[in-house]
Amino acid sequence: MVKEIERTGIPVVHMCTVVPISLTVGANRIVPTIAIPHPLGNPSLDPIDEKKLRRKLIEKALKALETEVVDQTVFED
Amino acid sequence: MRLELGKINISDVQFGSITKLENETLYVNKDEIISLIMQDDHIKHVEVEIAKPGDETRITPVKDVIEPRVKVSGEGGIFPGIVNKVTTVGCGRTHVLKGVSVVTCGKIVGFQEGIIDMSGPGADYTPFSKLNNICLVIDPIDELKQHEYEAAVRMAGLKVATLIGKAGKEVEPNEVEIYETKPLLESIDEYPDLPKVGYVYMLQTQGLLHDTYVYGVDAKKIVPTILYPTEVMDGAILSGNCVSACDKNTTYHHQNNPIIHDLYKKHGKDINFVGIIITNENVYLADKERSSNWTAKLCKYLGLDGVIVSQEGFGNPDTDLIMNCKKIESQGVKTVIVTDEYAGRDGASQSLADADPLANAVVTGGNANEIIVLPPMKKVIGMLDYVDKIAGGFDGSLREDGSIEVELQVITGATNELGFNKLSTIEF
Repeated sequence: MVKEIERTGIPVVHMCTVVPISLTVGANRIVPTIAIPHPLGNPSLDPIDEKKLRRKLIEKALKALETEVVDQTVFED
Repeated sequence: MRLELGKINISDVQFGSITKLENETLYVNKDEIISLIMQDDHIKHVEVEIAKPGDETRITPVKDVIEPRVKVSGEGGIFPGIVNKVTTVGCGRTHVLKGVSVVTCGKIVGFQEGIIDMSGPGADYTPFSKLNNICLVIDPIDELKQHEYEAAVRMAGLKVATLIGKAGKEVEPNEVEIYETKPLLESIDEYPDLPKVGYVYMLQTQGLLHDTYVYGVDAKKIVPTILYPTEVMDGAILSGNCVSACDKNTTYHHQNNPIIHDLYKKHGKDINFVGIIITNENVYLADKERSSNWTAKLCKYLGLDGVIVSQEGFGNPDTDLIMNCKKIESQGVKTVIVTDEYAGRDGASQSLADADPLANAVVTGGNANEIIVLPPMKKVIGMLDYVDKIAGGFDGSLREDGSIEVELQVITGATNELGFNKLSTIEF
């Protein structure tokens, strides 16, 4: 899906836990996430901290979306 | 470690007043089994039924298959850390009731249990159609949580298999096989000219209801470690998972792991089989990285020339498989990986979710997406009401006449990634 959307000219950020698979399938902007059963959250945190975590991930993804890349890029912290 | 594995052939199973073995017939006391299971207050009801090869019977939803075994001599008991004390096993003598199994059934997750057909086209795809199966259909008490239900069914199966196994303790086996693995340095001294080969044994540990246990430890909490192969034959590793049926390793698969048995066949002749590294398939990337780093480190540390790596399950464990392969190869140790495929119904799609050029020696257990039609059966042990939702099933899978159109994925053991079945792939 990432590749097909990009083919139309719209940039995509792939937020995912298993970065190696994302690299294998050819995503260009990759934001690593928490865990496979809960990529964008962490049930072991309390709700306030979890909301912060979620916001941080989304903001990182938006920033990645604005960033020019020339090669496959993983946006680590 | 040296283990004598005494195989007692059983050609028939019947209910009887006492549990005993006589002239290749196993008699089991149904009331004894029921009262053993009902000791667990999480269980509301259990049905005990026997399914024999050739019966027009469908067993579903299948959770686990377990082979009855008993320790005759040597330390510890079968299923250490779970049923028996957490003693190190794998030495002495163990008797095996060949041709029989305990099958646990229950609608724990519903869509992640399997089907065993005892006759018809489906029977060809599961090794368990060839056994006399003592089936336990277990209902939980009301409002029991899924994971507690899983634990109750898992324990029921292990306890019943242990009880039945005891019937073989005093019986003279039909055949005794001897397996021995020496401490590493002695083993290398014994066969200095043979290539040193290990086995990287990946265990399903993707989380709640997706777990495997090693000496009672939930394997998602381990770091890769070393086992003697004979420990596995005494039940050191057992299944606690509810995942797609075709490529999960049931406890029976672990007990009879064909990679271990085949490596032993070549041991001292073509190779020096020095031992097993167990590892897991966790859901955090850091865990995947750590575990694959450690398997590679241990392969190098043991001085291995080559390893076989087997996977369990599919999807994100494909990454664990490829990480293991890549990192072990990078240590200068050759790998062969054993997996299965989700290549679409026409077989034209990419087979694994991950890939790498270093994965250049692959054995496959077949394509789990192939479609099969299972005809109606006269008898169903368990229930059919979840078949449209089972992994590999789809809306309309269960037809009005009772036949089922599904992917091979639903059949217990169909594309097993230890090679414990007949399916594979040829290139043409």
